[in-house]
Amino acid sequence: MNVSSITIKVENVSKKFSRSLKHVMLYGIQDIGRNMFGLSSRSDRLRMDEFWALNDVSFEVKKGETVGIIGANGSGKSTLLKLLNGIFMPDKGRIEIKGRVGALIEVGAGFHPMLTGRENIYVNGAILGMSKKEIDKKFDDIVKFADIGDFIDSPVKHYSSGMYVRLGFSVAVHSDPDILLIDEVLAVGDASFQNKCFKKLSEFKKEGKTIILVTHDLDAIARHCDRAVLFEGGSISRTGDPNSVVNHYYKIILGGNDLSSYAVSPEGSSINSSAAAGKPELDKFLEEIPLTDQCIYRRSYNKNEDRFGDRRAEIVDYLIVCKDIVDPTIIQSGDKIDLYLKISFHNSIGNLRYGFLIKTIDGVKIYGWNTQFDGVSVGPAHGSNMQIIKFSIKMNLTGGDFFIDIGFDELINNNPTTIDKRNDFIHLVVQAKKTFTGLVELECSYEEIKVKQLA
Amino acid sequence: MNSDKTITYQPDNQIKMGFLSAWKEIINSLYGSRELIWRLFVRDFLAKYKQSLLGFAWAVLNPLITVGIFVYLNKAGLFNIGKTHVPYPVFALVGLSVWTLFATGLSACSNSIVNAGAMVVKINFPKSSLVISSMAQAVVDFLVRIFLAVIVFAIFGVLPSWTAVFLPFAVIPLVMLTLGIGFFLSLITGIFRDMVNVVNLMTTFFLFLVPVLYPAPESGLFAAINNINPLSHLIAGCRDIVFLGRFASPAGFWGSTVFSILVFLMSLRFFYLVEAKIAERI
Repeated sequence: MNVSSITIKVENVSKKFSRSLKHVMLYGIQDIGRNMFGLSSRSDRLRMDEFWALNDVSFEVKKGETVGIIGANGSGKSTLLKLLNGIFMPDKGRIEIKGRVGALIEVGAGFHPMLTGRENIYVNGAILGMSKKEIDKKFDDIVKFADIGDFIDSPVKHYSSGMYVRLGFSVAVHSDPDILLIDEVLAVGDASFQNKCFKKLSEFKKEGKTIILVTHDLDAIARHCDRAVLFEGGSISRTGDPNSVVNHYYKIILGGNDLSSYAVSPEGSSINSSAAAGKPELDKFLEEIPLTDQCIYRRSYNKNEDRFGDRRAEIVDYLIVCKDIVDPTIIQSGDKIDLYLKISFHNSIGNLRYGFLIKTIDGVKIYGWNTQFDGVSVGPAHGSNMQIIKFSIKMNLTGGDFFIDIGFDELINNNPTTIDKRNDFIHLVVQAKKTFTGLVELECSYEEIKVKQLA
Repeated sequence: MNSDKTITYQPDNQIKMGFLSAWKEIINSLYGSRELIWRLFVRDFLAKYKQSLLGFAWAVLNPLITVGIFVYLNKAGLFNIGKTHVPYPVFALVGLSVWTLFATGLSACSNSIVNAGAMVVKINFPKSSLVISSMAQAVVDFLVRIFLAVIVFAIFGVLPSWTAVFLPFAVIPLVMLTLGIGFFLSLITGIFRDMVNVVNLMTTFFLFLVPVLYPAPESGLFAAINNINPLSHLIAGCRDIVFLGRFASPAGFWGSTVFSILVFLMSLRFFYLVEAKIAERI
């Protein structure tokens, strides 16, 4: 085996996506039209509303190497895997891959709920490029590895979610890939199954197979990988020894939003000049119907938010407007902000309560409010509707970092059920105009009323 | 294994390829995915009939009821069908069976990629298999309907021409035309969901525009429209094979056959040009 042979070669690869569905449709037709007449789709240029999800990424993987890919959500890891798997085509650059690629990206995607496990193994195997002969030969191993026993002849809709994933994983690992792309699938299944998966991975490593592992489990990266690659904002920010890359990444996460990078100007107004588009951007916000969570693209979004709720409806986007500045990260004490929330409803909900809470960096509650406090009745909201609401808040705060929780509940007989709660969701820096102590600007003014001789 | 083969992904991969190498790849890909097409076909076939009481009967119930409605409309004098050489129900059933092959095939093909959306964005596999296996489903339904037609022929005491045995071959051009349009629409539907409704609307509309439930008119504007409509020729051709024993308009049938093959080939090329772009748009 030639150890130094390059299996995966990624050269200056970029991939763009569009933020709005309307443009996805328009650009899709444009691209198809151009291709139909044999013209290049000129994919190297950005059109309105498009952004680079991956930007100028280059790296090489040698045969037999295990490479871990880490980075925050939205940093481009999964996009990269889809490119390596050939699901997406690069818009710039080129990718060369030597050997059969097997992907563990959401296993069991081709399962049909009505068919039995046995039938699904054959369908899924064929989708992954296995011949009937190959599947016949490995059938028993697949069933044994998945550990689903007698359920093999029951429709998979009766499977538990663990069994479902195990069967999907088992088919995928038995498709005999030379290169294995793994995206976070090891997080599913119980501890014993995970253990089995890691054993299988070690086996693959011993056989000299190339593995690309995308995961948030940094310990797994440090333990199993020969090399780690850190993605930040669509580009590779660091690559090398897994321990040092993981340590660097820890530093970034623990640092939260990198405050040192805020450019503070004396007036505090020019800071947001790049975002000072004002009204058009707000109009766009009010029009767009996002498919995925757009909050993560806002500059004041805190990626270390804590999110929970049953998600029958979701906060899909938000926008802060302050004195015609859209999406500021820094505001001045006393500024009035308009906080727009875009909520997309998957189910109809009868009676709603929207609320927010402003806190200091160390969690001291400064001001919290919800629609119930003012007796505002909200709802009913219908499934598959989108709602935009607005809080207007006068930010009479001291200078410093503030975090805003946002959420909404369903109220049934005044008992709330959390639908989507995003704690530490927004991070705003407030600049004090005047000096005072404490947290809240109470706008004290002072005057001398009288001067009188005492004696 | 084929571990020496290097795959390259780059923008406009397909466009940069020469004419011959592009077709070579298309043929290789189609040949290589025959196993997958079969599996997808079996999957959809089983899934369709597994939790269904009447199962196969549905393939024949729809055309039977439609024919029943038209027999009634004809008897009631609401819908003047004109003269047919054979009893009307037999005439209509043959036309409608062939038509339904086109209509269900087209709608199945154009929805095939969207319906498999979850799979398309997660697994890399030849997406043409989805379209072809959907069409195969419609072909099987058609074959089932032919058996039904034999029974109806017996009831009405109609003896078809001996050439009727060639019917399965006579529908091949129609299948190619359907697949051709289906390949094209499957990608467009991936981008605009509107196409689902458009296809339904068009098939309903064409059911009346094309002489399916009535004999082709012999003169006038309507006849002229029919004359340039390949669908009319292909369906009439199938009916001629069953009843007449020869093509009433051989030029029309063979011309439409050539047209269908061209549509099929162009659409196939188009499909492979655009296929790589669809996953990110779905």
